[in-house]
Amino acid sequence: MAVITVYKLCKRYSGASAPAVDDVSFTVADREFMVLLGPSGCGKSTVLRMIAGLEPITSGTVAIDGRVVNDVPAKARDIAMVFQSYALYPHMSVHDNLAFGLRRRDVAGAEIERRVQSAAQMLGLADLLDRKPHALSGGQRQRVALGRAIVRDPKLFLFDEPLSNLDAALRVTTRNELIRQQHEIGTTSIYVTHDQVEAMTMGDRVCIMNEGKVVQIGAPLEVYRQPADMFVARFLGSPPMNLLKGRLEIREGRTFAVLGGAAVALPQRTESSLAMHVGRDVIVGVRPEDLYEVAPPGELASMATLPARVTTVEPLGGETLLVLSLDGCSEEVMARIGRHTALRRGDRFDVTLDAATIHLFDPAATKAIV
Amino acid sequence: MQLARQLGFGQMPGFEQLRRLPLVLFAALYTVITGGPLLWVATMSLRTTAEIFKSPYGFPSPVHWEKFVDAWTKSNYATYFWNSTIVVVIAVALVTVIGSMAAHCLARYHFRGSRSVRFLILSGLILPPQLLILALFQILLEMNLYNTLTGLILVYVATHVAMTVYILEGFFAQIPQDLFDAARMDGYSDFEIFWRVTVPIGMPAIFTTVTLNFIILWNEFLFAVVLLTEDDKRTLPLGIMHFTGSHQLDVGMVATGVMIAIVPVILIYAFTSETIIKGMTAGAVR
Repeated sequence: MAVITVYKLCKRYSGASAPAVDDVSFTVADREFMVLLGPSGCGKSTVLRMIAGLEPITSGTVAIDGRVVNDVPAKARDIAMVFQSYALYPHMSVHDNLAFGLRRRDVAGAEIERRVQSAAQMLGLADLLDRKPHALSGGQRQRVALGRAIVRDPKLFLFDEPLSNLDAALRVTTRNELIRQQHEIGTTSIYVTHDQVEAMTMGDRVCIMNEGKVVQIGAPLEVYRQPADMFVARFLGSPPMNLLKGRLEIREGRTFAVLGGAAVALPQRTESSLAMHVGRDVIVGVRPEDLYEVAPPGELASMATLPARVTTVEPLGGETLLVLSLDGCSEEVMARIGRHTALRRGDRFDVTLDAATIHLFDPAATKAIV
Repeated sequence: MQLARQLGFGQMPGFEQLRRLPLVLFAALYTVITGGPLLWVATMSLRTTAEIFKSPYGFPSPVHWEKFVDAWTKSNYATYFWNSTIVVVIAVALVTVIGSMAAHCLARYHFRGSRSVRFLILSGLILPPQLLILALFQILLEMNLYNTLTGLILVYVATHVAMTVYILEGFFAQIPQDLFDAARMDGYSDFEIFWRVTVPIGMPAIFTTVTLNFIILWNEFLFAVVLLTEDDKRTLPLGIMHFTGSHQLDVGMVATGVMIAIVPVILIYAFTSETIIKGMTAGAVR
């Protein structure tokens, strides 16, 4: 059990123009599952490797339970890590792979055996203990990698994209399995991924990174509903949030977001904070699921309609995605609507949008307004 | 049916077989060129020199098995064999340990000057041995190692580390970095990681260098002939040369000596070839 504090962490590789990790700070509470999420190359794995002690720190500190461990070697940090490639020792049996870390730590033979057997039971590896890694399936290897971390009973688990080598179906079951294990064991965990679904479903909190910097930290639904900037808005959600050029105007005492030919009245509770942006260009963000073919019953007050033409229909079975071109707007927008729609390519209709769900961003700073 | 097709007997027999013909001819020719002389020496090793001069290509009749006993007992052959064994086994062991450690460091760590160290070691590959021999002679003389097996062992180690590092570094560099990181997280020191991760995983490559070095050093002549002069210090290649003295040419005994000399090489290859081939075909270490 441990509290991890990362403070003003920087990593600069020699010869690189920009730092790989730039002023990253966050705290992971005891027993918390923190997900580092970001596109490839955003520095999230480097942060993980610096916490692990596998990568020298350029500046800043990593502390475990308040003790700065910058100069503590990896082997003395009491951290276990699950690698993307699983990193199973190919010349050792599953049993020896699990026991390898314990043997070095002067754990008694009987205790090693007990822990290996219990982890094998927990992960369904009991029948595979004599096999070599090359004789295992991807999912089994993944479980051995996880088992190797569990038997160590460390202060902290680090996961570096552990599911990305699995096929889609196995990824879902393994993901659920991992969530269950983590709840059972309760060890503080930091999990690196570029998969937003993993981040949303697994993390107690999500730390979103871009270009070496932390962009936003929060509970998964919180960052989804209140993205701090346009990057987070686009990165979370599939299909991503629609971002449209618009303008804030006052008409008849109300604040409107003008989108092409249409104007959407913004909720009154936000008006005061929008005052300084009135008369200026803004970026209007709308999630595809907040666009409706027909207005849902009961939320009429904040509903607005925009005339649109259907450019593409993508029936996915469970739902249908529409690509729409809004009148007077250069950008196309995506709408996620019910599977029973009768709309066809070329049809014109008034798409309904819930103004309460609109996000506004400053086009220059890309930060969220409100 | 499938086998027939694989062998080239299928829907288009004429054309496919014609296409294979040059390949088969080449393989046959190659076998004759390499295997023929060996077979010839093998038959000669069982015949007396007089018989050989009478009919060079004849089959052994009667078969003189006793020549092997004579070669071993009536000349210094047992001493030469023992000398060769000591020199080659110790030299190969040292080359393997030093070479694999150097290769591990060069493949894993990027320290200041690592490029220069690599260049320095690998430049040993391009130096012809003839170039070194006078200097080595002088150095060994000054260090009282001239005419000693220790001196020859040291020379063999020094001259064969370069190729060993070259082969092993290429293989070790392909071992995924994650394995080393995992071992570090598991609490192992750099030296332990070398022994417990690099060496077992790199075993096919290590066996390759052991076999290559063994064969090359077992047959090494130039350094041995210059650096050893006393008869009881000689290694096998020098010993075999001894059968062809200035006033006699015992071709039959030379052949017998050669056949005894290749036994260890064949044994080494028989024991390691499976691992080597397994290592080459398995490819991925993941």
